[in-house]
Amino acid sequence: MATTPEIVSSEYQYGFHDEVVYLTETKRGLTRETVEEISRIKGEPQWMLDFRLRAYDHFLVRAMPTWGGDLGQIDLDRIVYYRKPSDREEKSWDDVPDKIKQTFERLGIPEAERKFLSGVGAQYDSEVVYHNVREELTKIGVVFMGTDEGLRQYPELFRKYFATVVPPEDNKFAALNSAVWSGGSFVYVPKGVEVPLPLQAYFRINAENTGQFERTLIIVDEGAKVHYIEGCTAPIYTTDALHAAVVEVIALPGSKVRYTTIQNWSNDVYNLVTKRAHAHAGATVEWIDANTGSRLTMKYPSIYLRGEGATAEVISVAVAGRGQHQDTGAKAIHLAPNTRSRIVSKSVSKDGGRSTYRGSLKVSPGATGVVASVRCDALLLDEGSRSDTYPYIDIQEDDTTMTHEATVGKVSQDQIFYLMSRGLTENEATNMVVQGFLEVFTKELPMEYAIEFNRLVKLEMEGSLG
Amino acid sequence: MTVATGGPGAGAAAPTPGVAARPPRQAPADLTVTFADESTVRRVSAALGEPDWLLGDRLAAIAAFGPLPVEANRLYTPYVDLRTARLAEVRLYEVAAAAPGRSAASEIPEGAAGIVELREDEVAALALDDEARAAGVILDTVAGLRARDPDLLRRLLAGSQLPDDDKLAQLTRALWVQGVVIHVPDGVRLERPIVLRWALGAPGRALLSRTLVSVGDDAQLTLVEEQVPSDLPAGATAGTAVAGTVEVGAGAPAVGAPPQASQSLYGGTTEVRLGRAANVAVASLQDFSIGQVIFQHRAGVVGPASTLHWALAQLGSRLVRSRVDNRLEGDGSSVEQVEIVFGSADQLFDLTSYTRHLGRDTTGNLLSKAVLLDHSRAYLKGLISIDKPAHGTDSFLGEFGMLLSKQARSVAIPSLEIDQPDCRRAAHSSSVGPIDEGQLFYLESRGIPPFEARKFIVLGFLEPVVARVPLADAQDRLRDLLDAKWAAAQPSAPASGRATAAA
Repeated sequence: MATTPEIVSSEYQYGFHDEVVYLTETKRGLTRETVEEISRIKGEPQWMLDFRLRAYDHFLVRAMPTWGGDLGQIDLDRIVYYRKPSDREEKSWDDVPDKIKQTFERLGIPEAERKFLSGVGAQYDSEVVYHNVREELTKIGVVFMGTDEGLRQYPELFRKYFATVVPPEDNKFAALNSAVWSGGSFVYVPKGVEVPLPLQAYFRINAENTGQFERTLIIVDEGAKVHYIEGCTAPIYTTDALHAAVVEVIALPGSKVRYTTIQNWSNDVYNLVTKRAHAHAGATVEWIDANTGSRLTMKYPSIYLRGEGATAEVISVAVAGRGQHQDTGAKAIHLAPNTRSRIVSKSVSKDGGRSTYRGSLKVSPGATGVVASVRCDALLLDEGSRSDTYPYIDIQEDDTTMTHEATVGKVSQDQIFYLMSRGLTENEATNMVVQGFLEVFTKELPMEYAIEFNRLVKLEMEGSLG
Repeated sequence: MTVATGGPGAGAAAPTPGVAARPPRQAPADLTVTFADESTVRRVSAALGEPDWLLGDRLAAIAAFGPLPVEANRLYTPYVDLRTARLAEVRLYEVAAAAPGRSAASEIPEGAAGIVELREDEVAALALDDEARAAGVILDTVAGLRARDPDLLRRLLAGSQLPDDDKLAQLTRALWVQGVVIHVPDGVRLERPIVLRWALGAPGRALLSRTLVSVGDDAQLTLVEEQVPSDLPAGATAGTAVAGTVEVGAGAPAVGAPPQASQSLYGGTTEVRLGRAANVAVASLQDFSIGQVIFQHRAGVVGPASTLHWALAQLGSRLVRSRVDNRLEGDGSSVEQVEIVFGSADQLFDLTSYTRHLGRDTTGNLLSKAVLLDHSRAYLKGLISIDKPAHGTDSFLGEFGMLLSKQARSVAIPSLEIDQPDCRRAAHSSSVGPIDEGQLFYLESRGIPPFEARKFIVLGFLEPVVARVPLADAQDRLRDLLDAKWAAAQPSAPASGRATAAA
């Protein structure tokens, strides 16, 4: 621990953006023609166009959700729904256009890849521009590519699973995503294959008012195992950007999937994401989810436990600073016997930020022998910050064992006093307490990410004193 | 409420052909009462000979009633279900007696300071002992108080905290015909309880009523409320009435059993205001028969250093929709609330409590426990709000369920809204589980038959709440009721024999 406090600007560290000439982009706003144009540019099969139009029709009639954060500031007519930064997918880092490369280099992606990761799918706005899966993974049949590419190369596998977990009618923003989706990751892990190192994808929003609607589809076949990581950073802009992603995970019997997210959108982004997994018999699905950025995040990673003996785990942390609302949580829907779930949620609110836990735990008739637990803890660091907790627990089977605990509190003055008596400044002491509070999350991360995440938290904390 | 916002791309917001009209059926939040209109309000007010200000209050309520949804809180709209309420044929009692049938001190139960017994639209008994009367305690019907001291009545009503956004509370506020007033002046500490007995259940009738309680500085009141079917003699146990209507087990589920043709509606309030350093305990034992639907509102405003206790036991009725609003306004004020539900047949207990911390160093301690048999359901909804000025709050909310049947359902929504970080504690806890096999095995290994062991465990689960009922007699009575209901719900007959043997 450095004894001299680092001088760090409270400006958003990654708040630079590049001038990029976009080769193709749609007009602002969303019309039927926009949807058709996106599909045409991509050269999609008819069924996908039909799917997009069905989703678009539903989007029009579906009411805006009124139960969560304030969505009143989103101007859907000002958003550019599709933007294509480069013509083709790159396989080598050297071929990536310089402007884009500079941005990613400042984010440290190539280093991360060199050191640790087995594959990089980096999304710059709406298309995957860089993609590299190590040869050995390709050899054993692991597919890791952009979702558009997945549709082209694996049409049957794609169609079999696409939108089976999150149908367009699920919610308004899932409908929007389904109508205009572009990019995201397509992952298939064949039977019995264990991917030894995490697959990694970075997503960024660039250009003012760009909507980003990536769609990720992960299929993990029987007995296979994979860890997927995404990290997000985005430049600062003054008008509002929208990120409405859909992530679908299918964990077939006996498989294991972990999906880790570090979300650090800049504070003007609306991050409205539907993440859902189906866990079949004996499968394990884990969502490890951190939200530190964005203006408003509404995201409730869900697991439908469809097969006997499936296991679900969600570890979710949120940090809400000035002007931010983190409306996050988790859902575990038990549909089969002897399924288990564990939800752990931690949130920190400061500088007038607001964090909300909104979760749902359901045990359906027939799902006997369920064991479920939910734990939510919130820290409020200062006056004016706010924390809400709204768990829904609906149990319809008599031999369920369910426990739920939630606490809200402030940083203990005793702990601060103790740390300061050991020579730490108040700032450092608070930072250490907060990092300790979030450790349940951090310790689940690969080391590089844990370091990066702690650095993010520290930046957030120092910003609070500026 | 749910208006489809047109999509982006102006003008593209086409008409919505996808939304087809549904065939007529009762939606979960549909409420059909035929008497909720302005003309009935005017008729009721005129028949009671009320002054203009009181009519005005009723008219404001009926105006609010119309547009309000049954559940105004978006958090809870997925868990509203009034479908077992069949109130279209139910007629309102438009006039209720103001004067008691019996008022002799001999009516007062032993150990109590006073009694009000309301039997349908009659006042069966109203009596307060001399000591309490001499101390300035007022126990009366609203009509009685209006004749004696209209200014006091007006002050009491003006201080009411019935929630503005609650449709059912506004229904009662618009059309109440019966009422009870209890006033304990400053400095009077009434050690013995006042008993408030409601005997209701006449098929096809609705009684709406308000109970206004004001307790002054350094004053104390204990209120024991008994809610029983009117076709039973006073004091009898109705516990068997509910469970007995449905055959349990043996493949004869209660689902599909038609709701009784003529139900009975009770809309009631208990509106309590505490001064400084006051202490109020309210214990309520609800054991109406299965034809009863009740909409209940309890609202407490707690002054500085005062304490309000609620002990609420829900056993009877087909449908209970209950809401408690606690406002901890005074510094150092506290509320302690315990609720138990013991459901069987197709009963639904829909219980919401709001606890709002406003003063400094306030304390909230709320505990709900539900045991559910057959097809019964409990929706336990609790919201703790800690407002900005409420430094030093300590607030806990616990919701616990025990499901004893495959068809039973427990929903818990314990929520927190925290605006002030400087708190001692803000927490909630919830669990649902079956009977613990380990405990069962232990009891059986001690020679207790399985049948009895189950009973011990179930009643033991509720006991910590029963033990917090403030009056020993009420505690015993509640234990008897739980015992009777348990026995009646058992599939085979040996229940009573064994239960008696154990007792």
